[in-house]
Amino acid sequence: MNDLFRNTLSPAQWALLAAVPVAILALYFLKLKRQPVEVPSTYLWRKAIEDLHVNSFWQRLRKSLLLFLQLLAVALAVLALLRPGWEGTKLEGQRFLFLIDNSASMSARDVNGVTRLDAAKEQVAALIEQMDSGMTAMIVSFADDPRVVQEFTDDTRLLRERLATIGPTFRGTNLREALKLAAGMSSLGAVLAADDESESPEKLPADETATAYIYSDGRFPEVKNFRLGRLNPIYVPLGTKEARNVALTAFSTRRSEIRPEERQAFVQVTNFTDEPATVIAEIRLSGEFLDAKEIEVPAGDSAGATFPLADAPAGALEVRLSGAGLERDVLVSDNRGYAALNDAPPGRVLVVTPGNVALETSLATERAKRLATIEFAKPELLTQKEHQQLADSGAYSLIIYDQCAPEKMPRANTLFVGTAPPIDSWKATASSPSEAPPAEAAAAGTVSLPQIIDWNRAHPLLANVEFGNIGILTSNILPIPQGGASLIDSTGGTLFAIAPRDSFEDAVLGFPIVSVGEGGQAINTNWPRRHSFPTFWLNVLEYFVGQADDLASPNSTPGQPVELRTTASASTLTVVAPNGERVELQRQSLEPFQFHQTEQPGVYEVVEQGQVTSRFAVNLFDRQESDVGLRPSGDSDIEGGTKELRIGETAVPAEGLTPARRELWRPLLLAALLVLMVEWYIYNRRVYV
Amino acid sequence: MPVTESTLLPPELMAQLQRLELVTRKVFRGRMKGERRSKRKGESVEFADFRNYVPGDDLRRLDWNLYARLDRLILKLFLEEQDLHFYTLIDTSMSMDFGEPTKLQYAKQLAAALGFIGLTRSDRVCIETIGQPAGQLGPVLRGRKSVWRMLEYLDAIEPGQNSSLAEGVRRFCLRRRGKGVLVLIGDLLDKNGYEEALRYLVAQQMDVYVIQVLSQEELHPDVKGDLRLVDCEDDDVAEITVSAPLLKRYQQTLAAFTGGVQEFCSRRGMNYILAHNGLPVQQLIATYLRGRGLVR
Repeated sequence: MNDLFRNTLSPAQWALLAAVPVAILALYFLKLKRQPVEVPSTYLWRKAIEDLHVNSFWQRLRKSLLLFLQLLAVALAVLALLRPGWEGTKLEGQRFLFLIDNSASMSARDVNGVTRLDAAKEQVAALIEQMDSGMTAMIVSFADDPRVVQEFTDDTRLLRERLATIGPTFRGTNLREALKLAAGMSSLGAVLAADDESESPEKLPADETATAYIYSDGRFPEVKNFRLGRLNPIYVPLGTKEARNVALTAFSTRRSEIRPEERQAFVQVTNFTDEPATVIAEIRLSGEFLDAKEIEVPAGDSAGATFPLADAPAGALEVRLSGAGLERDVLVSDNRGYAALNDAPPGRVLVVTPGNVALETSLATERAKRLATIEFAKPELLTQKEHQQLADSGAYSLIIYDQCAPEKMPRANTLFVGTAPPIDSWKATASSPSEAPPAEAAAAGTVSLPQIIDWNRAHPLLANVEFGNIGILTSNILPIPQGGASLIDSTGGTLFAIAPRDSFEDAVLGFPIVSVGEGGQAINTNWPRRHSFPTFWLNVLEYFVGQADDLASPNSTPGQPVELRTTASASTLTVVAPNGERVELQRQSLEPFQFHQTEQPGVYEVVEQGQVTSRFAVNLFDRQESDVGLRPSGDSDIEGGTKELRIGETAVPAEGLTPARRELWRPLLLAALLVLMVEWYIYNRRVYV
Repeated sequence: MPVTESTLLPPELMAQLQRLELVTRKVFRGRMKGERRSKRKGESVEFADFRNYVPGDDLRRLDWNLYARLDRLILKLFLEEQDLHFYTLIDTSMSMDFGEPTKLQYAKQLAAALGFIGLTRSDRVCIETIGQPAGQLGPVLRGRKSVWRMLEYLDAIEPGQNSSLAEGVRRFCLRRRGKGVLVLIGDLLDKNGYEEALRYLVAQQMDVYVIQVLSQEELHPDVKGDLRLVDCEDDDVAEITVSAPLLKRYQQTLAAFTGGVQEFCSRRGMNYILAHNGLPVQQLIATYLRGRGLVR
């Protein structure tokens, strides 16, 4: 079949169809038997016929008008079956993968007045329409993780139905996972195909590739180190570069710097346009208006505003953007933000120390007490079962391990002093100096008299902390786990580092304050004599505990599971979603509840025994997604889109918006039906034109 | 007033027709004294002219008053009233045996009505058919008492005398040389044409009325489908597939045909009337024929 026509029937079906006009002709000739009628005179009739016979060819045609109409109807039907059409992409190959981005940015309404996702679905539907018999296709939608919408099938109706089920999400984008899945599925398909063709093994190879159509706006990080294998990708960019968007990029509550008992809401608005924008941020608490501020956001920059909440009660905090800056704003979903205000109990801090006067003194201040309830314990506690259960249930906000380490990491933020956490990422070179390290480990993992070179002054843990004149006798040199950051660098290496673990953070101070030697405790550093020492510990409390009561309502992104820590050891928990949907959670083990249904942005309420005990907010604060302009890359543009997309080493050419194939079969079939109706009418009326 | 069982002339129609009389635009010379003015001067009450007496004139018509005054013999002339020769010629071919009522029946009824008018006014009424053999003459009727004879004669007319129109008319003209009013009733659907027949009548110098009687089926054919039309007279076959243009063409042909007859007639001083078997005879007479001046 060429570009104009597409085959839809098998030869046998065509043969059957070809018999129809033959049958019509046969019936026509068989039927022509005239009925004799006696008339007074044929005189006038003869004259009338003679006149008409002048145009005998047309007369003959007219005579057989019904035949003509029947044949015309059949011809139209045949033509419709040939599916004539023009434009559109011709599908090459036999297997197709449609990867459809349904991340938050795809909800931007900048493709001819419809959202990018709708435009993508429309185009995929058009491609599905064009599938010839024998072609199979698969649909995958992807946001931050991919979802197989429909596995390989040649049922176009099923494909269309499944395609319609793809809805927008509020998630970020991860093309890599989608590609992995696609590559996996397509190679699986190829293997299966190879199995099928055991009779003709020479027909195996390279033509068994799958074509992957990637419908996206390119709002995702570069995909590196990826081999496409048998995937033959085609990138179809959606959206325009000129798309304007002003988005909320942060919304959080925190305690006031000056008056810690008061909370503040912080709103950050980012302008992804070329012009400055003025927006009005409006704060509502549980639906009631609290405050509003006008925020001027420079072009391409962010601006923030702080709203004092005073002693606002617990509730769902919502911020809405409105105003002139939102004209022509293509993405609506990021103009709202949510935060949860919880009546958080003061944090609970456990200090496990064999005895450390400096530390104990530093944590005994009034301010420290206001921030958290601090308990002290000896390292022996760590082996007790009750403690282990308590630590696992997430009862503590922070556990400080001074010269000791637990067997298993607790479900809490931790700060290790002089030791390393018992997990692999920290263990690479670290070892405890108190445990008589082996010589080679000491050579690699510890350092004597390290000179502090630099420290991260910007990090809240080291705010207002001065390390200028601090001497240290020995210290562990710390590896920096993935995602972690070095906070103090010395001549020997990192002395203080912080790294995330699940939803917690572990900070490790390489050097102990006091070392326990053979002659009892010995000073390891002169830091406790500096002003910075108590400041540091206050920072620790503020960072881990003060933040924790905000962290207790963590800002999750849609689709991410949320860990719910409960005060009581209740066995069931109910979570009320923003749309009022209630989800019952059962406790699986001693571990905290995991809540997965976080698709909707908004404030979720945790109900324990009929009472709302806490809330958490789910927000999409993703600059990648909010920056809705079509991803600029490459040097030449086509139709305002991008020229290509790089996946690993492969440059994937952009196809541009492919016009849907314009097909004629519907009007043709309609015309056939119309002709048939006219034929029927004429047959009944005996009015031959 | 004769009483008749004939359906040709129901009593109500008769009552209506009694008031009418046949009219001719031409003044003919009749054979007998009748109720009609003639060119001939004769005995009647209608004064025509005076003229001088010439020897041999009937002295009874001298105007004695004038003689007394002028002392001259002046003859007073009166218009003589004469009878009218009224001929009806009916086409009895097979094609006339169609329609409901048949065209022939309609023609007979029309002939009866006109004949009745003539008989009541003492005209000479003669009814003949086209297919009548050359030697045979139709009865010549006169006077009211002959109405039943006329009806009898009409009732006896059967269709099926197939002869061409021209031949029939020619024979009639040979039989009836006299002057008068001739009403030709027929469908004129002769494959050899009607013109020749009408030309014979022109030569006859009669006051000719041509009444073409067609059936409703001929005027508005109600046929469908693929048909083989068989002519009842000569078994001629015409195959047609009924279609809108064919029907339209038929109507055009019919209109052209009747129009042609009308033109032919009016050019030759004949009156043409198109009638169909759906039109009541009394209405035809009361409106159409009256309008054309055949009856008054």
